[in-house]
Amino acid sequence: MKKSWIIAMNTFNESLRKKTFYILLVVALVVIGASRFFSFLAVEDELKMIKDVSFSTIEFFGALIAIFTALAAVSTEMEKRTIYTLLSKPITRNNFIIGKLIGQSLIILLNVILMSIFFVALLLIKKSPPDLQTFKTIFLIYLSLVLMGSITLAVATFATDAFNLIFSFFLYIVGHLITYGKALLERTENVVLKGLGEMLYTIIPNYENFNIKDKIVVGVDVTWKYIGQTTLYGIIYITIAILIGIHFFNKREV
Amino acid sequence: MAILETKDLTKIYTLGKNRTVTALNKVSMSVEEGEIFGILGPNGSGKTTCLKLLLGIVFPTDGSITIMGKDQYSVDIKKNIGFLPENPYYYDYLTGPEILKFYGRLFEMPDSLIAKRTDELLELVNLQDARNLSLKHYSKGMLERIGLAASLVNDPRILILDEPTTGLDPIGCKETRDLLIRLNKAGKTVLLSSHFLSEVERVCSRIVIFHKGNLLTTGTLRNLLEEYQAENLEDLFVKAIEKFDRETGSIDKGVE
Repeated sequence: MKKSWIIAMNTFNESLRKKTFYILLVVALVVIGASRFFSFLAVEDELKMIKDVSFSTIEFFGALIAIFTALAAVSTEMEKRTIYTLLSKPITRNNFIIGKLIGQSLIILLNVILMSIFFVALLLIKKSPPDLQTFKTIFLIYLSLVLMGSITLAVATFATDAFNLIFSFFLYIVGHLITYGKALLERTENVVLKGLGEMLYTIIPNYENFNIKDKIVVGVDVTWKYIGQTTLYGIIYITIAILIGIHFFNKREV
Repeated sequence: MAILETKDLTKIYTLGKNRTVTALNKVSMSVEEGEIFGILGPNGSGKTTCLKLLLGIVFPTDGSITIMGKDQYSVDIKKNIGFLPENPYYYDYLTGPEILKFYGRLFEMPDSLIAKRTDELLELVNLQDARNLSLKHYSKGMLERIGLAASLVNDPRILILDEPTTGLDPIGCKETRDLLIRLNKAGKTVLLSSHFLSEVERVCSRIVIFHKGNLLTTGTLRNLLEEYQAENLEDLFVKAIEKFDRETGSIDKGVE
């Protein structure tokens, strides 16, 4: 675990020194900052608009950071051949993948924290301090981003960057729409289609489970029980993704 | 006593549905403790593949590798190995001391020992003045030197070097050669892959010649010169390759 942590800190520091991180962060902060000016476009009140835009921005830019960091985690090491030196050291390939996962999760965390600080500051300026529900929303967004990063990292161990990029975004979109897909499937009487749908629903992570922002924005409370269940759901999928990544990376020749 | 041995080591790469390339074909060799062992061969002869196999970076299709009497994939065995890849690339945002610290920590060395080793190694490879410079500002020769330092951070028993003088100027080449001899005298076993014949001739006690994935010959330079009735290493190298091509009729043909 110690060696994974050393690799994690290296991954974290590497991401931190990349311009992409700062560019995405600055753009995200600008969007969050500008959210108060969008209020005149909507009939809803300004606070609701700020929360809505901020949550969506944290999720979207967090997703970009998660996917690009995970993409770089394996392929950049291979392209730059730094992996040769790294794997010649007394580490296992499991150390490498777990270290990369921890490192990218830390960089996503930093990104989410920085965006959240800006968002909270905006709420304080509006004399509406954030409540616990706001932090629950941010936590679940973070968890969904870690899951997204884990899947991208796992796919990076056996697929090309281009495929991985398309696949990760595709899964992200499908993962958000899968609840509607399931509702549609329930109406069908075709057994094969129904079975296939059920299978996909089980395999593909349902990103909508992590999406509580719509409820929070309109003032609906989300229970701790739901947060706990969703956290467990996320951890199970993250674990499966990483085990898949470890399995393929242990067989991969670099 | 052999510190490193391979038996019938074979590596076949699959390049598509029905296409394979034999990068290494039943290679059996042994490296004795305390010697400088040279792996010679033209480009694409299987030298780097052999080193990657020894380090567990790629996996053998067949055959076995024994390092210090144990399976080479054991993490503990790797604690005794230092490796310098060809054209080394490192995390270019790190400085020299930072890269040594990163690798040193992977060897579970305490930070105080890493700091001591860093000072020693930077002096050894003459990079003390560049200690605050990030690696992206390093020249090719400087990268090669920091790579050499990184391969020595754990004070390894076995040093595996893949083309260590590529990119170095003549003075840098001489300094590297002298360093290898010094390290060898200090008890380190050195496995040196190179296509610079003069370099190998000057430092290696025994050599092996690879060609098209095959081990053509191995032994001390003197014995091989006698065996092939060659005047020097270059002559020996050419004769060994010509003999192989003649015997196998594989001129202009890759090993597949």
